[in-house]
Amino acid sequence: MSIGLPRRYLALAVAVIGVLFFFPFYAGDFRMNQLGLFLCFVMFALSLDLIWGFTGILSLGNAVYFGGGAYFVALSLKLKYAATNPARYGSGIPDFMEWNGLTAVPTWMLPLESIWFAAPAGVLAMGFLAFVFGFITFKRHIYGVYCAVITLAESLIFEELIIEKQAYTGGFNGITDYGSYSSNTNFYWVILAVTVLFFWLARRITTSHFGMILQSIRENELRSEFFGFEVANYKIFVFTVAAMMSAVAGGLYAALNGIISHQEIGPLLSVEGVIWVAVGGRGTLIGAFVGTILIKGAESLLSEQFAWMWGLLVGLIFILVIVLMPDGIVGTLLRRARRRRAIAAGRAPAYEPRAVSAEDTPTA
Amino acid sequence: MELTRRDVVKGALAASAGAAAFGVPHIFVRRLTQANAQDKTIKVGILHSLSGTIAIIERSLHNAELLAIDEINAKGGVLGKKIEAIIEDPKSEVRFFKEKAEKLILKDKVAAVLGCYTSASRQSVLPVFEKYNSVLLYPTLYEAQECSYNCFYTGAVPNQQLSDFVPWLIKNVGPKFYLIGSNYIYPKETNREVKAYLAKYGGQTVAEEYAPLGSTEFSTTINKIKSAKPNVVFSDLVGDSIVAFYKQYRQFGITAKDIPIGTPITTEEEIKAMGPENAIGHYTSFNYFQSLKNPVNERFVKAFKGKYGQDKVTNAVMEAAYFQTYFLAQAIEKLKGNTDPDGLIQEGLPGQQFQAPQGKVKIDPVNHHTWLWARIGRANTDGQFDVVDESKDWIRPDPWTRVLYPDKDCDFSKVPKGSKSGTITVKRS
Amino acid sequence: MAEALFAQFLTGFSIVAILLIISLGLAVIFGVMRVINMAHGDFIMVGAYVAFVMQEYFKLNLFWGIPAAFFVLAAIGMTVEWGLIRQLYGRPLETLLATWGVSVVLQQGIRLIFGPELRYVRAPQLLDGDFAVPGSNLPFPYFRMFIIVLALGLLSLTYWILYRTDLGMRVRAVNQNRPMAEVLGIDTRRVDRFVFAFGSGLAGVAGTILAPIKTVSPGMGFPYAVDSYMVIVLGGVGRLVGTVAGASVIGEAETVLAFLYNNVIAKLLVFTLIVIVIRVFPQGLFTLQRR
Repeated sequence: MSIGLPRRYLALAVAVIGVLFFFPFYAGDFRMNQLGLFLCFVMFALSLDLIWGFTGILSLGNAVYFGGGAYFVALSLKLKYAATNPARYGSGIPDFMEWNGLTAVPTWMLPLESIWFAAPAGVLAMGFLAFVFGFITFKRHIYGVYCAVITLAESLIFEELIIEKQAYTGGFNGITDYGSYSSNTNFYWVILAVTVLFFWLARRITTSHFGMILQSIRENELRSEFFGFEVANYKIFVFTVAAMMSAVAGGLYAALNGIISHQEIGPLLSVEGVIWVAVGGRGTLIGAFVGTILIKGAESLLSEQFAWMWGLLVGLIFILVIVLMPDGIVGTLLRRARRRRAIAAGRAPAYEPRAVSAEDTPTA
Repeated sequence: MELTRRDVVKGALAASAGAAAFGVPHIFVRRLTQANAQDKTIKVGILHSLSGTIAIIERSLHNAELLAIDEINAKGGVLGKKIEAIIEDPKSEVRFFKEKAEKLILKDKVAAVLGCYTSASRQSVLPVFEKYNSVLLYPTLYEAQECSYNCFYTGAVPNQQLSDFVPWLIKNVGPKFYLIGSNYIYPKETNREVKAYLAKYGGQTVAEEYAPLGSTEFSTTINKIKSAKPNVVFSDLVGDSIVAFYKQYRQFGITAKDIPIGTPITTEEEIKAMGPENAIGHYTSFNYFQSLKNPVNERFVKAFKGKYGQDKVTNAVMEAAYFQTYFLAQAIEKLKGNTDPDGLIQEGLPGQQFQAPQGKVKIDPVNHHTWLWARIGRANTDGQFDVVDESKDWIRPDPWTRVLYPDKDCDFSKVPKGSKSGTITVKRS
Repeated sequence: MAEALFAQFLTGFSIVAILLIISLGLAVIFGVMRVINMAHGDFIMVGAYVAFVMQEYFKLNLFWGIPAAFFVLAAIGMTVEWGLIRQLYGRPLETLLATWGVSVVLQQGIRLIFGPELRYVRAPQLLDGDFAVPGSNLPFPYFRMFIIVLALGLLSLTYWILYRTDLGMRVRAVNQNRPMAEVLGIDTRRVDRFVFAFGSGLAGVAGTILAPIKTVSPGMGFPYAVDSYMVIVLGGVGRLVGTVAGASVIGEAETVLAFLYNNVIAKLLVFTLIVIVIRVFPQGLFTLQRR
């Protein structure tokens, strides 16, 4: 069975997965819960790497799909919880519905009570949303900085909508108190399994012919068009896949966390995801894992000690990484390894010119 | 060759070391913590935002609680043991509140947590407290309609702020109210209650509108207010919006003599930020004002300013944070140093009394809320409040506001043992 | 009702003026350098804090605060341009991200220095109070009038610099066709530095005049940044008229909609409007013809 990974990396991957697998046994409940949530973020970052690192689409609003998937699952769990614990809020409906004067769950929401419907529905809904948005944006050849700003606007719209429609979404407070799978080792392993699966999937996509075209789009979109590729279609496809991946990650996050709010939909999380990928190394897939775990882990540990300067540190590190290591940690390591190989094989000079990237064309 | 086996092993070791480092300290810390719990200190968690948008007010809660802990420790602590504050900063983000609450309970094994300001943060952490059976003391005024087994509420509930305030405004200013608020649950619930009180006391709702949280542009709203000509503008705006609204209100030429603003939220802290001239004459309803003249309050204000700076002000929410710390200390003392959560919840905390800066306060024995005093203040030129009305006695807290939910109440003596909620149905005649 | 609507319209003017002042700096920068400065909102925030410092520590009122903020932010802008933007020349997406880092650093830095509390900045005594709008008896604040006047002033200043000076001509040349300008001997790096400094200075000025009517806190910048992006995206780049158009449409639309419905709906509808317009005009309403 071809995993698409050279043997040496495979060993490393197995080692890392092993460490993650045995984590609950020596780290305790609190850290295991944290790591579970981090892995959801890793999947989110992975989806961003697909669209940004490989295809060159910078989206500052992809958390909409993460949060969207999360809201579907959270609503479903909440409806079930309220129905089975009628004494909790006084009637069998969620508290935020009661506070907004609803007397019963709206009929269009009833199917969500079943998690087996809600979870896939969420993923498909997010996929559809991404498809529509991708269609509007990419068919019109909106890319680069404009695309980034438009996605930002879109995520703000959704964040505001979620807050406004309090009767259905819990508003600013979000959806809380619906039971969760935290401190559940089995659920942690489920998340780990899905993460590994997604990495495998991403690897398949990016090492295929399709993946090569994506990268050519990233390098020079116009040229790819001239080669005859329907660039918009490729972008729409990968954007949709990434959105559905995020939605799954979001659903798992909601089930693990026990609470979801507009913060998981808004631009803040979207930009954070981009930062994780940038620091880890875009276009490397594993960079998404490294960047997310590194930053979230450091944030968790350091903010416990140095709360006051943590934010400043993140900003500075980010600037340094962007300027000095544009390929991120993993990207730079891989590049160095490749160069060492090339020099050793006599295929490249010892001096390396400045890395040229796609946007280096003079006319913007 | 490219990567040798050595590299793979190195990589694997590095990865394991990294992940292990993330989790291993926990084992040692756990052992250490367990050892400590037996001997020297009583660990108490402090969970307030010290950065982010809510830090503006929440930092003062953190400061007040630390002041109380310092005072208690200076007098020898609780039965000889000092209180150790474990401080966490959730940075105004709801997901961090939950994470830090879990950390305090599971990892630091605190006896109880003093925390939260916004309803969003409280609602996000309560399931954690209920799941792991710990205790949260919540000092902030809120919309009520809740009583959780694992939470003790030391802030005002609507009947302690609105039931006197609304009729007083109707009588002394006028019956026509223009309701505004920030767009989330607390203002909406509060306005629902205000409307119920208006209906009961012959007032009238002229209009009701909500602004996005954090919005700072109110010129349109103010124009609408001018056209509608109400007697009172009742505001449930929170945070940044308060300062912007009051400032623009005055800039557009409306003074408190024409249409005063009445609110249960604006404190001395926000007045400091907007400048006293923007607040003169407007009304706030609270249990505590810095300007209260009694020896306990004078001592409290002096101590607070002494520790944190002469330019600091005190307000009702942090006064609750202050006295709830004393409640906790007294509860642990009552249990002879035992910090078992069920003991604290069922025996230690209920019925606790304390001479607070606002007056004598007490935790109701059956509903986990606190008996408080109600006062109405008018802002003056110093940025402080002149008390224009106050309740004759402390007021019993009604977690289910009678005017909206006549058939509900909160009574832990009437629910089965082990219930996480004290809500019961009652028949009132 | 008609009186209220007229008052609304006038209020809308002041909102358009605010949007214009906020966006002018970013429009100039983006037009010439094709760089989106994610720290723009935080430059505005620093401007507000400059006004605060001038008031509290130097006891000087806002009229001094405005030029002070301009120069402070121009200096900061020049530093950022030299230290950061220049290194990422030709890579707009990286620049966008790097400026996000700058935004975080600025916010945290200000928070560390001044604390997270809201700060109080006064309008100058001269501009306190309001006057009756002729034709009705609706009071309109002097300060808001000042904002409108200042907006027009800054617009004229920018226009004058761009169209009546040598430097401005060079800027326009780079704007229209960068490689050609370089070939003709224009020092594009110098132009970039000036443009970024000027744009940042304008942001600083925006901050000082917003401080008395809004709230001053380390995190205040983000909403203004978003507003300015919207103005630019809608109005198009490369031409001042685009920025004015963008600000006018968004400002008046938001005000009128807020009056008819409420603030929340207004915001949502305006955003949606922008997204729809972009669908039809991907480059904004007014663009520069490019060869």
